Amino acid sequence: MKRKIESLRKILADFYLVLILIFLYAPILTMMVLSFNTSKSRTQWGGFTLSWYQQMLSDPDILAALSNTLLIAFVSALAACILGTAAAIAINSMKPVSRTIIMGITNIPMLNADIVTGISLMLAFIAFGISLGFKTILIAHITFNIPYVILSVMPKLKQTDKSTYEAALDLGASPLYAFFKVVFPDILPGILSGFLLAFTMSLDDFIITHFTRGAGINTLSTLIYSQVRRGIQPSMYALSSVIFLTVLVLLLIANYRPKEKKPVPGSAPSNGSLGGTGKDPSRLPRQIQKWAMGAAAVFIAASVTWVTWKNYSVSHTEELYVYNWGDYIDDEVVAMFEEETGIKVTYDMFETNEEMYPVIEAGAVTYDVVCPSDYMIQKMIENDMLAEINFENVPNISQINPEYMEMSRSFDPENRYSVPYCWGTVGILYNTKRLEELGVEPPKSWMDLWDPALKGEILMQDSVRDAFMVALKGLGYSMNTIDEKELQQAKDLLIQQKPLVQAYVIDQVRDKMIGGEAAVGVIYSGEMLYIQEEVKNLGLDYSLEYVVPEEGTNLWLDSWVIPKNAQNKENAEKWINFLCRPDIALRNFEYITYSTPNQGAFDLLDPEIQENKAVFPDLDSLENSEVYRYLGDEEEGVYNALWKEVKSR
Amino acid sequence: MNQPLIDLQHISKSFDGAMVLDDLCLTVKENSFVTLLGPSGCGKTTTLRIIGGFESPDQGKVIFDGQDITHLPANKRPLNTVFQKYALFTHMTIAENIAFGLKIKNKSKSYIQDKIKYALKLVNLEGYENRSVDSLSGGQQQRIAIARAIVNEPRLLLLDEPLGALDLKLRQDMQYELIRLKNELGITFIYVTHDQEEALTMSDTIVVMNQGYIQQMGTPESIYNEPENAFVADFIGDSNIVPGIMIRDELVEIFGTRFACVDKGFGNNTPVDVVIRPEDIDLVEPGQGTLSGVVTHLIFKGVHYEMEVTTPDGFEWLVHSTDLFPVGKKVDIHVDPFDIQIMNKPASEDEEAIGVNE
Repeated sequence: MKRKIESLRKILADFYLVLILIFLYAPILTMMVLSFNTSKSRTQWGGFTLSWYQQMLSDPDILAALSNTLLIAFVSALAACILGTAAAIAINSMKPVSRTIIMGITNIPMLNADIVTGISLMLAFIAFGISLGFKTILIAHITFNIPYVILSVMPKLKQTDKSTYEAALDLGASPLYAFFKVVFPDILPGILSGFLLAFTMSLDDFIITHFTRGAGINTLSTLIYSQVRRGIQPSMYALSSVIFLTVLVLLLIANYRPKEKKPVPGSAPSNGSLGGTGKDPSRLPRQIQKWAMGAAAVFIAASVTWVTWKNYSVSHTEELYVYNWGDYIDDEVVAMFEEETGIKVTYDMFETNEEMYPVIEAGAVTYDVVCPSDYMIQKMIENDMLAEINFENVPNISQINPEYMEMSRSFDPENRYSVPYCWGTVGILYNTKRLEELGVEPPKSWMDLWDPALKGEILMQDSVRDAFMVALKGLGYSMNTIDEKELQQAKDLLIQQKPLVQAYVIDQVRDKMIGGEAAVGVIYSGEMLYIQEEVKNLGLDYSLEYVVPEEGTNLWLDSWVIPKNAQNKENAEKWINFLCRPDIALRNFEYITYSTPNQGAFDLLDPEIQENKAVFPDLDSLENSEVYRYLGDEEEGVYNALWKEVKSR
Repeated sequence: MNQPLIDLQHISKSFDGAMVLDDLCLTVKENSFVTLLGPSGCGKTTTLRIIGGFESPDQGKVIFDGQDITHLPANKRPLNTVFQKYALFTHMTIAENIAFGLKIKNKSKSYIQDKIKYALKLVNLEGYENRSVDSLSGGQQQRIAIARAIVNEPRLLLLDEPLGALDLKLRQDMQYELIRLKNELGITFIYVTHDQEEALTMSDTIVVMNQGYIQQMGTPESIYNEPENAFVADFIGDSNIVPGIMIRDELVEIFGTRFACVDKGFGNNTPVDVVIRPEDIDLVEPGQGTLSGVVTHLIFKGVHYEMEVTTPDGFEWLVHSTDLFPVGKKVDIHVDPFDIQIMNKPASEDEEAIGVNE
């Protein structure tokens, strides 16, 4: 009986352990499996492939980010080791009270939230006039790595007998020689595990890097993050899998310690037969140690030289700093521009207008040309952050359909600051087959999103203006309203809709709809060509259609502007002019698939695409539609407060 | 050429305001074996570290062979140290440990090889060149530490409680080893210990220290037999220390009983401390001695019996004797005049504080 209970207990214990392991590692395993999936779908297995890994390795962005990541991790870990070891030695020789205090202080950065560390570092860099870039990431990583090194060197120092150092001095060694010959070998395991820990931490970091990086510098984590806007590509699964495994291996190495041998005072009998062979097996042969040291030294010297060369050798040529949405240009176009003009482009990406704004405002990184949206351009104009474009340098402006210049006037009244780049609408994407199964007619109005039959089938946009646009337009109001009654009504309507909504999301609408997870979703029109192609490629048995509701919608426009503090304004104008060239605009359209305002490019398109109303809706049919306007900080506060109420209900 | 090798002149040292050495003066002659003896915290190790160059005195000078080395860093001093915890370099082989100092001095390879062989032979560990430190016992490690120091041919070897971590048997063996080494090498040893037996066994000269002061300095015999104050008497061996009054030269009164002694020059009717070693007390049948008492305690110690005899005044006399007197037996105490050691009462408050009559 007792035995039975014992074995049952054992089984339960094992089961529990398995459960925990599954809980911990199932997500990562899923990602790893998907990284070998031929299909881009997250729910369907399309066969085994290594192509995502190939794609990852052939992507110059990823490779550049990879080399940045490794270099930053290596150099920062190395610098942290030198500084941290020196600090640990100093702390160790302090009196106990001050030692405890200093150790506490050095530990705080580790416990501090990364975001606090990141923001404060960024503020410090800006305050001291250090422009953000490679070196600021490096400094930041060194900063947060030092405590880890101190923490792993400290115990080794405490174990080290102080008298061995004194013995070396006594035998005639200079303090430096004594340190490197006697103390250093003793604490080397601590330094090495500190190095690996720091290397791993640096490899792993996103938040601090995100806040301290400058134009055109990406590490793997910031690159992955910036790619999220267009949805996560399977090559990112591959990359993430590689990162996970790398970190895992590093942690295993860092935590591996050879068994320590303790001397046994006065007990071991003299064992003459072992006389010649009693070498310590845990010690690396001297020769290998020397080789490793030499190789490391060469590597450091080479990488430092390389970075210096890379960062400063091009400083004499013409430059252009571009700040654009993630995945919002064909890389080929950038290369062509560089080739034609000889201007070196440093290209950087943002995810939201709100993220871009403070960067330009702070001026820590001076961008020459930026691509914000309508309402944000208005805000930037009102806050005197933009320079007037000299249109003599942009003759290709004639290629832009005047209708869009007219549209621009809603935020740039005299067409002085901006040149349209992409535009589109917001509408409802619906799954025809699913709606049939539910017995619901295809939507025509925003109010169709309040149909109780669609319970759990609706995907809404998780952003305040887009969500309120749906409700306000549905009610027949302006989406730029500041009328409190209208806003209250819209809020009540959104609260009323909440039980029907499956999820409030942004980028996932596309993939969830392709995956057949919901019947209807509010979506930006720019995704349509991609969606329709993907449905075709996957051979799905349903079709996804797009409709702009009859009440009108958000007509959005992303345009190029030049910030006031731009260093290379003429180059920026060359850039804008280049992008307005019909062949270039066409190439870009084919890559981005968002509607182009470029008439020259439009004329070159296949009639089939010209006729695709999802991509190029008639502007006449959009008479009720509006462009977002910047409403001022106060009104934005009102919107945000109401949205919070909706979300918290 | 019996000139002083080390001359410490008016050395003072304090740590965080606590005085460790106070105006210490000490000379050590060439080729002698000097032991600094005292309880922990008496300043003996600090003295050694000042000579070694690991501490610098707040005041005073360190003269080595006529040269002022007070401000010479440790690695430039012509002497070597054997540390309490051996302080061997665990990531090096025995041979590398021994060669450490010689390599710094850029000696030739063959010279170093010869020296290693010679030193290992000297400490009876031939053939241990390639062993790792961890594979050696404590005694072996200590001998390697000594070998590592002496290959540098120092004129002065400092030893900081080198046998402290060893067990009793090994310690006794090592004591003889050290004496042999000292005689073979002709090096001056300054040896620090808190073990009085060790000090008595090995030294030419013992320096008894307490609270930063030198209490007494002399040969082991003179320190043992003629302690100058109660502290020394108490610290070196067991003793009976009793208050007495020097009636006149060669006559002292203890607990109302007068004893003949050999000491002179304390004046008449002067309060003094009287030291009588336990083995110098003869127990005799009642009526045959000077003081009467009762045996109150008895322990068999192997070589002798240790007994306590309580006299009517309440004092418990410690007595060592090969004759057995059972507990409860009435006995008389007899002391020969030359076994009575008269000392001045403590001269300073510091000495007073040591607790003479426990």
